[in-house]
Amino acid sequence: MTLNHHNASRLFSAYLDGELSAPESQAVQEHLMDCVSCREAYEGIRSTKLLLRELPVAEPPGEFWAAVRTPQHTASQAGAGWASPPGGRWRGRRLSFLRRPAWALAAALVILAIAVAPLIKGTADRLHATEIGVDLYVREHALGMGAEPLTDRAYLGLVAGDADLVLAGETPRAGGGHP
Amino acid sequence: MMRPEAKQAVPYTPDELARYEAIVQRYARHVYNIAYRMTGNQADALDLSQEAFLRVYRALRRVEPGAPLESWLYRIVSNLYVDLLRKRPRPRVESLDVPLETPRGELLRELPDVAGSPEAILERERLDETIQRALGTLSVDLRMVVTLSDVEGFSYEEIAAILRIPLGTVKSRLHRARQVLQERLRPYVEARRRGWEER
Repeated sequence: MTLNHHNASRLFSAYLDGELSAPESQAVQEHLMDCVSCREAYEGIRSTKLLLRELPVAEPPGEFWAAVRTPQHTASQAGAGWASPPGGRWRGRRLSFLRRPAWALAAALVILAIAVAPLIKGTADRLHATEIGVDLYVREHALGMGAEPLTDRAYLGLVAGDADLVLAGETPRAGGGHP
Repeated sequence: MMRPEAKQAVPYTPDELARYEAIVQRYARHVYNIAYRMTGNQADALDLSQEAFLRVYRALRRVEPGAPLESWLYRIVSNLYVDLLRKRPRPRVESLDVPLETPRGELLRELPDVAGSPEAILERERLDETIQRALGTLSVDLRMVVTLSDVEGFSYEEIAAILRIPLGTVKSRLHRARQVLQERLRPYVEARRRGWEER
């Protein structure tokens, strides 16, 4: 296995940490022996790691111990960070379906359908009633006019009967005819 | 999501409380250390680590006795930190070269010269602060990986499990983080290479 500068430099950290396979590790080692600039770069990465390793462990203040030992008194910030403990079942799962957008959309559509259905049916009924009302009014008015002495009865007959005026929804009478 | 005010119906037994105490003993210092290296300040580190243990406490009955909790705990800390950053408004970025306006006139900031004398570089406290500041300039992803690896000493496989990322991602992020830190801490890295620890 032969490495060029670029490939070798990408492996320096893993080589330093002992996280490479044996052939990879061997290849990096050989490259470092031959290449001065890569050796420089590798030393830089190694020194950086050593520098970080020397950071002291941050010592928590006294109040920290009291707070973690009586956690039920600690104020909680709700938010992210929940995760299942190893081997544990998480109760929060029962509400998880609400977090899925597809479910939320379906629920919204069902609610919309339930709310809108009576509204549409009511409007259709009202339109139907208006249609019948106009027909009835014209026929009643035409027949009422028959009592007037100077009315042209033949014309009225034409309007109320021969014109085949029917109530909306009724079956039309064949050839018209006086009611 | 479990409600924060939810409490266990039956109080914990002395055995369960002892188990919680053992978890605190084993992990608390590490959790705080990681939280401190991630946030770079005591107040946030306290908030994060206390919150993490509050969650352990509530979930105690679902935790298998003796189960290793590293991955779970450090993942909680990492998630809490990301959540904290999301909630918090971005800090205002101000150039250090711009004079500071004060009632008495303008003040010029004098910055410590990082490439100063070796004696100055050897000041431990300043070095810690400088490294912490350099860590703070990394993206959260890079900072988490390098903290778990170089500060806490986890293996790549453990880091991959904690952060739930592929092994290859751990490798590349860690290398990138070290490259950036090397650049930011160049004078210190050079001093380290000259064997400064012997002085």
